[in-house]
Amino acid sequence: MKLGSRKTMWVAALSAAMLTAAACGSGDGGEGGGGGGDGGKVSITFAYWGSDARQKLTDQAIQKFEEKNPTIDVEGDFSNWDSYYEKLATKVAANDAPDVLSIEIRGLSEYAGRGALMDLAGKLPTADLDQQVLSSGQIDGKQYAIPTGVNAFSMVANPAALEKAKKELPEDTSWTWDQWAALAQEISATGSATGAEYNFNPAWLQIYAAQRGEKFYDGTKIGMSVDTLKSWWGIHQKLIETKGSPDAAKSAEIGATGPEQSLLGTNEGALGMWWSNQLNALSKSSGQEMTLLRMPKLEGATTSGMFLQPAMFYAASAKTEQADAAGKFIDFLVNDPDAAGILLSDRGLPTNSKVLAAVKDKLPPADQKTLAFIDEVKSELSPIEAPPKGALEMEDILKRASEEVVFGRATPDAAAAKFLEEANAAIAG
Amino acid sequence: MSESISVTPERPPAAPREAARPPGRRRRTTYANVHRRREARTAYVFLAPWFVGLFLITVGPILASLYLSFTDYSLLEEAQWVGWDNYSKLFFEDTRFIQSLKVTTIYVVVSVPMQLAFALALALALDRGLRGLSFYRSIYYLPSLLGGSVAIAILWRKIFGTDGLVNAVLAIFDIEGPGWVSDPDTALGTLILLHVWTFGAPMVIFLAGLRQIPQSYYEAAAVDGATKLRQFRSITLPLLTPIIFFNLVLEVIKSFQSFTQSFIVSGGSGGPVDSTLFYTLYLYLKGFKSYEMGYAAAMAWVLLLLIAGLTGVNFLASKYWVFYGDTK
Repeated sequence: MKLGSRKTMWVAALSAAMLTAAACGSGDGGEGGGGGGDGGKVSITFAYWGSDARQKLTDQAIQKFEEKNPTIDVEGDFSNWDSYYEKLATKVAANDAPDVLSIEIRGLSEYAGRGALMDLAGKLPTADLDQQVLSSGQIDGKQYAIPTGVNAFSMVANPAALEKAKKELPEDTSWTWDQWAALAQEISATGSATGAEYNFNPAWLQIYAAQRGEKFYDGTKIGMSVDTLKSWWGIHQKLIETKGSPDAAKSAEIGATGPEQSLLGTNEGALGMWWSNQLNALSKSSGQEMTLLRMPKLEGATTSGMFLQPAMFYAASAKTEQADAAGKFIDFLVNDPDAAGILLSDRGLPTNSKVLAAVKDKLPPADQKTLAFIDEVKSELSPIEAPPKGALEMEDILKRASEEVVFGRATPDAAAAKFLEEANAAIAG
Repeated sequence: MSESISVTPERPPAAPREAARPPGRRRRTTYANVHRRREARTAYVFLAPWFVGLFLITVGPILASLYLSFTDYSLLEEAQWVGWDNYSKLFFEDTRFIQSLKVTTIYVVVSVPMQLAFALALALALDRGLRGLSFYRSIYYLPSLLGGSVAIAILWRKIFGTDGLVNAVLAIFDIEGPGWVSDPDTALGTLILLHVWTFGAPMVIFLAGLRQIPQSYYEAAAVDGATKLRQFRSITLPLLTPIIFFNLVLEVIKSFQSFTQSFIVSGGSGGPVDSTLFYTLYLYLKGFKSYEMGYAAAMAWVLLLLIAGLTGVNFLASKYWVFYGDTK
């Protein structure tokens, strides 16, 4: 290797520099979506994300479907959560979109609004599904997606940790944010557990804003005031100050992980906020029997602000050539007790009342608890609608602004102004 | 070429229009041309698969990304021409873009010299005929192979976490360390450290460069009574400048394109508070999270021009400090 020549270096430098530009181009082309039929058999692809456990369950469900529908061949296209949307977007761009796909509520407007999804109205029966939840899959009156099951963002408590700190399980129908923060501080002070872990989940802010009579999204604008954001961050700052929760850096670290590594999951904390379908994971990893509580309220609030949210949706590509088969497959997944018997609550608790009744006894204890909890609070819940396009970014934007506040990088006023500007820009586009 | 001379007599007579040239040389040239052309054809056939790759996977996408950078391409919809909009938005409206430039520049300016100095120091230490040199060389090279990997980035998170190894060591001295990767003041520092740690590749190149310096220079200097330090300053360093330059150019380019470390350590967000928002990470977020692929393509081209410009400056500056033994 002779490196002492100017020309060699130019070549090396040039080729190294070109790589980024190349990585950004897009190879277009590809055939139409869906597979052709061999001997009257059609094949469809189904894209979804999740854990290995979900992959196994889904494979079983697909097998069952193929048994019942011998003329349809379903090919599962599994990826992990981190790369799911990248893969999906790339496939849509390459005209190679999966016929049936999974999507969460934040991505729904993005894909439906950009014409990537098919209107599923009339493609499958939906009469037995929870109509209110079903409506969250509608945009501009079109049923672009069918909810797989439901969740509620709620307070998870570890009764054993509370008991150790000599505290009683709070009365959740009337408790306030102040009481919750005070309880967290007292638990931390005993040294037996960390009182609470906070997060910057938009779901929490949405609940909090609703209690103040404001909407997170008001059409394609942010409906929250600067005061609401400031007062919400005030809760975080108070928790850090009183040591009711870990400091900002530690919290940021925990926040970057999943339920298994959270304070509740590692049995180090007493209270935390999670989606109700995570109760199972939290219980399993901590070995504790967790319980679900209503979210605390603002004093004088007229609504709990809590809402049922579809865990995810099934949707079909607008360009699929196998619309009927796609509809049949989604129908099977949401309406057939055989499918629910396999999938159980993996994609949230089923919203088809008949299906739910059929599989209720098969659910693991934590899920039965969730079911009972959701039944109990159902009458207090607010309806949910799909957030506007750009909502996929909201979690990051909120996290960024919030971290500036808790790390003392910006005043709450400045951070709130920045959040509103960035958030509005993201959903306006 | 020597064989072409022996077969020259078999060549047919030259065409009249070429008669003006000296006969012997012309004939040989003609044959050599044919021969060369035939060789070239064979070469191109063998190169064909590479060319296909070059045009389909490299040149094609590069040109496509240039086109896309002038559109509002979202991945999901057809691209619409928007002219210079993406570029003007980048420079005049996007504060996160400026932040990402700032973060990346700090990263490059701090970590590259540190890494090269470290690599050179180790190369010098290893070059003194240690026993088991190849073993050490492999050991020190290892981080370079691993440094850009996901596993190491995760390991880094653990080492520099609130309850990580570093803080456990500090705790022995009664110092309560911060959460290094999750504190905006120190997060970038940990990534710079990670980069310095991957000194293996430049180190191996330095070692090769050290071997190219004739031993006789040192012997002559020693006879003249030059100290080790003096020998390093007057022999090693000047003769090594082309190697230093080579490493510098490559590492600057590579560092500007760093992605994995920040992606994994910050959980894909560039956080906390954008303190580790590398240029390429922001590009990725724009392209795949915000579905602004046209904008991301514009960013890629700005980065390409930026790196090209910096490399040009580097080459111009090299005239003043790089010593090429064969040209001066």
